[in-house]
Amino acid sequence: MILSRLTLLILLFSNFSWGVLEVSVIKNEDNALPVKILPFQIIGSVQGGDLIEKIITNNLNRTGHFSAKVDPSFDKNVINFSQLRSEKFEALVMANLEKKSEKIFDIQLKLIDPYSEKTIMNKKYAVHDSGIRRTAHFLSDQIYESILGIRGSFDTRLAYVTVSKNSHGKKEYRLEISDSDAQNPKTIITSSDPILSPVWSPDQNKIAYVSFRNLRSEVFVQYPFVRRKTLKLPYFDGIASSPSWHPDGNKLAITLSKDGNKDIYLYDMEKKSLERITKNPSIDTEASFSSDGKKMVFTSNRSGQVQIYIMDLESKKISRATYEGNYNAKAVFSPDGKSLALVHRLGKDYRVGILDIQTRDLTILTENELDESPFFAPSGDMIIYSTNKKNRGILSVVSIIGRQTFELSSVNGEVREPSWSNYSQ
Amino acid sequence: MRKQGLFLTTLFTAFFLSGCIGGEANIVEKVEPRNQIVSNETSNTSEAIVQSQIGRIIGEEISPTDIRVTNPNSPEAIAVKKLKNEGVKFTLYFSFDGYEISEAATNEIIKHANLMKDYPQLNLRLEGHADERGTREYNLALGENRALAVKDVLALYGLTSRTQVISYGEEKPISNEHNEEGWKKNRRVDFIYE
Repeated sequence: MILSRLTLLILLFSNFSWGVLEVSVIKNEDNALPVKILPFQIIGSVQGGDLIEKIITNNLNRTGHFSAKVDPSFDKNVINFSQLRSEKFEALVMANLEKKSEKIFDIQLKLIDPYSEKTIMNKKYAVHDSGIRRTAHFLSDQIYESILGIRGSFDTRLAYVTVSKNSHGKKEYRLEISDSDAQNPKTIITSSDPILSPVWSPDQNKIAYVSFRNLRSEVFVQYPFVRRKTLKLPYFDGIASSPSWHPDGNKLAITLSKDGNKDIYLYDMEKKSLERITKNPSIDTEASFSSDGKKMVFTSNRSGQVQIYIMDLESKKISRATYEGNYNAKAVFSPDGKSLALVHRLGKDYRVGILDIQTRDLTILTENELDESPFFAPSGDMIIYSTNKKNRGILSVVSIIGRQTFELSSVNGEVREPSWSNYSQ
Repeated sequence: MRKQGLFLTTLFTAFFLSGCIGGEANIVEKVEPRNQIVSNETSNTSEAIVQSQIGRIIGEEISPTDIRVTNPNSPEAIAVKKLKNEGVKFTLYFSFDGYEISEAATNEIIKHANLMKDYPQLNLRLEGHADERGTREYNLALGENRALAVKDVLALYGLTSRTQVISYGEEKPISNEHNEEGWKKNRRVDFIYE
C-alpha cells in the first residue's frame, strides 16, 4: 500500500529525468509509531505547498519508525483527543504556510501529544518559496527529533553512481545527486568510462570522485552547484583513488601508488600540496576521517590479511581495529566516532557490519552476498550501502540495529557507491 | 619509449648497412611450440586461457633485426603492426586475492620479454584486474599489484621503461557472471602491445 502510494507520488512529482531512483520501503515494524498529519493550511499562493505534507509523510514512513498518514477530514479546531488515543496516535502534526512576500513564506509547525494533550512543539520558520522540498525535509527532521529525541537525516543529500546502457548498447556511467528521498535527482557527470568512490565534502559544496576518463584512475573534484566547475587533482604516476574529505573540507585523503606502493596521502586543495600519511610496503587504502578530524581509519593488508587500522593523526600511532575474520575493509566512522561501519567477509559472503571500536564487538547488519560501500547517515542511526537484487546493483538502507528500512534502485540499470552528505545548510 | 626503440632500430640499421648481415638467431627456437597452453593456476582453466600467438607470427619470418625493420612493408614490420593492433595479446590469470606469479606464468612472461627484445619498437601495456568480490578500492590496488608482479619479471630483462602498468580493479570485467566461473576470468592481467 505504501509502495503503491510512493510509486504514485514518484510518477506525479518526478520530472521523469533519467536518473530517478525507485524507492521501495521495506515493511514497517509492528511497533511503528502512528502519526496523524493534518493538511497544511495555506494562506496566499504558495507554490507546491500541498506537497509538503506528502513529503513529510513519506519521509517519516521511509524510516520504518513511523506509520504516518495525512488525514484531511480531521477537525483541527476541536481536537478529539480520546479518538486519537483510541487509535493509538503518538502525535498530531499541524502547520500553517503563509506567503509573506514574493519569495518568502512563514511556516508555523505544531506538534501535539494526544496522551498529555499538550503541545510539545510550536515553532515558526521563514523559508524561501523555491525550497519546498528542502522545507519539507527540514520540517521532517524537526518532527522526527521532537518525537524520537534523536535527529533525522532528511535534510541531506545522496550521491551515487548509476550504470546503464545507452541507446547504442554501450555502458554509460553517471555521477548523480539527489535529496535524501532519492527525489530531485541531478546528473553531475556522464561518462563512458567508470566512475567510482564519490564523496560529499562536509559543507556539501564539493564531491570528490575517481574517474577513468583518461583510461587510468584519477581523482576529480566537482562543484555540483556551480556550473562547469571541475577540478582535476595533479597527475600522479600509478593509481590515484579512494578520496575522502577531512572534516575541514579542504584536505582530501587519497590513495596513491606513485612512490612504489599503495599508501595514503593528504592533498591540500588550497595549497595544492601533498603529505604522505602512511608508509608501508603493503596496500594501504580506503581512508576515512572521524568527524572531529583526530583519527583516520583505513584498510591495509600489512598483516597478510585485509584488515582495518586506525591512525591517531596527532601521534601518528596506528592500531589495528578488526580481529574477527580474515577480510575487513572500507570502514567509515559513525558520526559519534564510537563505531565503524565496514565490509566483512563471512564465509564466502561480503556483508556490512558495525564494529564497536572500544569493545571490538562486530555485528553483522546485512544478509546478502556482495554487500559493500557502507556510509553512515549524518544522524548516525542508519547506514546506506550497495548490494545486489535480482543480479542488479541497488542501494539499501539499514538501521544500526540491523533492520532493513528502504531500497533505492535504478529502473533502467544499476546503482552503486552511495555517499550520504551532512545536513544541508 | 618509442624514441629508444627508434634509436635502436636506427643503430641496428646502420650496423647492418655497413655490410654486415650476420647470422640472426632463429626466433622460432626461442619460443615454445604454439599450441602450448600455460596456466598460472593449478586448476584446469584451459578454456579461459588466451592462446599465445607468438609462434605463429614469428614462424613466418626468420630475421627480425635487420634492415627490413625500417621498411614498413617488410614482414617484420607487418608483424609488429599486427601485434600492436591485436588489442589483448595475452592474458595471465590469478588466484583469489592473490598476485603471485607461478613458475609457469614466469615462463610465459619470459616469452614476451623475448618478443620485446627482438622487436625494439614494441612497448607493452599491462592492465591489471580483479573480480567483483570485496571492495572496489581494494580491488583497484589488487589489480595494480598483479600487473606490477608481471612487470617485475620483465624488469629482470631491462624492460621496465617499455612497460606501462594500469589497474582497472573490478571495473572492466570480462565476465558478468556472479559465480566462480565468471570470477576466474576476471582475475587477470592483460598484455597489450603498443
